[in-house]
Amino acid sequence: MSDRARREWMTGVGFVTPAAAVVLLFSVGAIAYSFWVSLHNWDILIPAHPFVGLHNYSDVLFDKDTIFWIALGNTFYYVTLLVPSVIVTAFLLSLLAYKAPYGQGFFKAAFFLPSITPVVVISLIWMWLYRFDGPVNMGLGLVYAGVSPIARLAGLSTPALPNWLTNTSTAMPAIVVMSAWQAAGYYSVIFLAGLSEIPREFYEAAHVDGAGALKSLLYITLPLLRNTFIFVSVMLVIGGFQVFTQVYIMTRGGPGTSTEVMTSAIFKKAFQSYGGMGTASAMAWLLFAVVFVFVFAYMRIVKSRRIYD
Amino acid sequence: MKRAGKLIGFAALIAVTFAMVLPYLWMAASAFKTNTEFTSRPNDLVVRHPTLTNFAGAVDRGTGRMGRYLFNSLVYAATVTVFQLIFDSLAAFAFARLRWKGRDVAFTLLLSTMMLPGAVILVPTYLIAVNLGLADTILGVVGPSLAGVFGIFLLRQFFLNIPADLEDSARIDGCGAFGIYWRIIMPLAKPALITLGLFVFISEWNSFVWPLVILSDWDKYPVTVGVSLFRDESSIAWPKIFAASVMGSAPLIALFAVAQKHIVGGITLSGMKAG
Repeated sequence: MSDRARREWMTGVGFVTPAAAVVLLFSVGAIAYSFWVSLHNWDILIPAHPFVGLHNYSDVLFDKDTIFWIALGNTFYYVTLLVPSVIVTAFLLSLLAYKAPYGQGFFKAAFFLPSITPVVVISLIWMWLYRFDGPVNMGLGLVYAGVSPIARLAGLSTPALPNWLTNTSTAMPAIVVMSAWQAAGYYSVIFLAGLSEIPREFYEAAHVDGAGALKSLLYITLPLLRNTFIFVSVMLVIGGFQVFTQVYIMTRGGPGTSTEVMTSAIFKKAFQSYGGMGTASAMAWLLFAVVFVFVFAYMRIVKSRRIYD
Repeated sequence: MKRAGKLIGFAALIAVTFAMVLPYLWMAASAFKTNTEFTSRPNDLVVRHPTLTNFAGAVDRGTGRMGRYLFNSLVYAATVTVFQLIFDSLAAFAFARLRWKGRDVAFTLLLSTMMLPGAVILVPTYLIAVNLGLADTILGVVGPSLAGVFGIFLLRQFFLNIPADLEDSARIDGCGAFGIYWRIIMPLAKPALITLGLFVFISEWNSFVWPLVILSDWDKYPVTVGVSLFRDESSIAWPKIFAASVMGSAPLIALFAVAQKHIVGGITLSGMKAG
């Protein structure tokens, strides 16, 4: 390196060092360390950590009491329910707000509110909403009152009001509804940004050619929002695989194991059971592999070159 | 016909927006109810006998400690924001405006760490922090967030769009790299810095898992962990929980009310990750 190049290098590295030190220590270092830990029997209270090779991985994958497959299944269930419901709701919301004659700023602000409220707070509110005699069932009761006479005529009966969070079949959908409620507004603002970038002339031209609202939506709006849809779905998938706080607050993974997801399982292994650091790290790596494969495959399918704009 | 359609659309929008804010109304109403009123009419949105008892209970040093939690959250969020603005902008400057060997490789490497799910590095980050003696310390809470790859990425994008002319003339006048960073780039980047600062503040205020894991002394808990403790009490006192929830989320709602333009503008500018 010439003197000048060396000087330039020193300056550049000097500027980067404070940030790089933090990232290297807590992200890059952590990920390497994580792999190291996953190869050991690691109890935080015992100084010796015997090397066990891939034993933790085989434990996680094949032990008969392993929570891994249940948690993975629940996580997939959560993601599968969450992603389409958020995308559809957020997109419809953005269409409604886009066409609003006035007050767009107000609606944006209202939509945004849930995403700046701590998830802990939102989870607590919804826990209360989901109580047996809470507002959700109150609303459902009103619907039943209207529907049941008709249903009775057809020889059907309306199902009993559920106890949402303590019933194994309703707990996860209930968590999904809450998460969708929180995320929809945020993503609708992103869709709104996408919508406002579509030149008005496109719609005017389509209108002149006799295209109705539905045709404009199908042939202009949706294709031009393709990148936004891809971006939103990828973010939702990545975030969905890591869902934790709402599960931790609302159900602690229960009832039974019906809402145990990957992150809550890792958390419990690492911090609420003895000697679980190694197993938890192995689980975390397997989770990473799943997310990576999933997102990678998805990106290959949609084959988009412009995602992050 | 067309008018009717528009009207229906607008009515639907108002209805949905009402549904979005409804849970907040319940939170606020319950926070002001007396225990008797809450027990007899828990689902009513109208408060007949408003009271501040629940807030007093939430702040009480024996039963609530919300004052302490709020103070801690403020300290953590402010610290992280200040450090990220400095560290991220320094790095972004080197990636956007300086030429040095290995720059692009370093940037790509840094960017790739954004792909790591937080859940994957939770356990090792915890072990590293413990090994460094940071368990149950303030530095332990804020340490991993003192710099952020996302912030570096965002600021770099902004710095790249600043024209080079100003920088060139400053260089001719004998300004060094740091002078250019501090006197030219930073003042011009104010909008991006404000947006990033707000996002960092909000996400640090809302962070829950990391402080839950790294702290064990309630005296250092941020508001998120603090509020979650109310849920663990043997009998859940909902009005008090809601009073605490109002206090925990009000600062951000106030901040949002003041800086809405920057926050909403910010996500459209970058398509950013959710908090």
